[in-house]
Amino acid sequence: MTTAQTEMVTVRVFGALRQAMGQSEVRLPCAGATVKDALVQLGQGSNGDVASYIFDKQGNLWRSLMLLVNDEPVSDALCQRTNPGDVISLLLPLAGG
Amino acid sequence: MRVCTRPPWTRQMPSGNGAAKPQIQFTEDQIERYSRHIILPEVGGDGQRKLLAAKVLIIGAGGLGSPAGLYLAAAGVGTIGIVDSDAVGLSNLQRQVLHATSCLGRAKCLSAKDTMEDLNPDVHVIPYHERLTSANALEIIAGYDVVLDGSDNFPTRYLVNDACVMAGKPLCHAGILRFEGQLTTIVPGTGPCYRCLYPEPPPPGLVPSCQQAGILGVTAGVVGLLQATEAVKLILGIGEPLIGRLLLYNALEASFRDVRVQRKSDCPVCGESPTIVELIDYEEFCQVRSSSTDQVGGSCDYGSN
Repeated sequence: MTTAQTEMVTVRVFGALRQAMGQSEVRLPCAGATVKDALVQLGQGSNGDVASYIFDKQGNLWRSLMLLVNDEPVSDALCQRTNPGDVISLLLPLAGG
Repeated sequence: MRVCTRPPWTRQMPSGNGAAKPQIQFTEDQIERYSRHIILPEVGGDGQRKLLAAKVLIIGAGGLGSPAGLYLAAAGVGTIGIVDSDAVGLSNLQRQVLHATSCLGRAKCLSAKDTMEDLNPDVHVIPYHERLTSANALEIIAGYDVVLDGSDNFPTRYLVNDACVMAGKPLCHAGILRFEGQLTTIVPGTGPCYRCLYPEPPPPGLVPSCQQAGILGVTAGVVGLLQATEAVKLILGIGEPLIGRLLLYNALEASFRDVRVQRKSDCPVCGESPTIVELIDYEEFCQVRSSSTDQVGGSCDYGSN
């Protein structure tokens, strides 16, 4: 595995966010940054709509968004430092039935 | 010391710990009808009696409620309540398999009742041709052992969650959109509730509805049957229900992903110091206001769905 690969963090998205991004996951070279930094980078690297699914106008994470790191809930996740190979998952609820 | 081998959540079932076994004598037809259940050691005659004695409430006779209702009826769940104020429309029939073309314009709950009772005359279906609201939810839910949420809008989803937590009723939750589904089983006091997962609904307009974004009909079928499976497991007290887990299904990837979810001590409904102790105005909470024609079930009328 190259150094570049080991520094990668994967952000996986579900539901409406997947539709907004047009893909199910993005790899970002931001291992070591906080989860919030990774999500800001995700928003900046995508079209303007994507950031609006993640953060409100004050820059806070929407309370309707579930944030998991490596498929586990993490307390105070936004401040968590990412490690190479981490997978951040963003889930929006689905109301359809 | 006597060790209880039953999972703790089965205590909430009518046939769980402390409850007498259902005294149902099978007819010959029933033995034949349910033979593939009865032959399973995990079900057996006692399990089939539990199913026949069980009462399941389905919220919405739509894309999720249809497959779930069909299989719960086929399984011999003795009493099935179905809440839906909507009428069958042509755009429903691509996925809402409880209803036929001949039922167009008919009340969905009545169409559903006829289909389920025709499939299995052992099943008594109670139709509720009304919206589930803060005024009637607790009264309706009180008569059932398990609730299955197949509604199509956020206000109803938070209402069903809160009512089930307050009433102590197990809830099989699922939501769908396009090619995806999410599923979890909520057992109040044992695992997280819907608000622990999603404390607030998305702001209006952020998440499209099935009407806006579409839904692959078979996706609704797969997820609705997973809900029915969860309900059957709860009734029988077998397997490992999705308590504290959220199952993510993607039809295009043919993938299932299972993530852990936690109960939140500060949850306003199921936390240590609940601040919501009675049902609220859920349209206000979700920042949506419905028109008089809004329905629960098959249509997507709130605009946030």
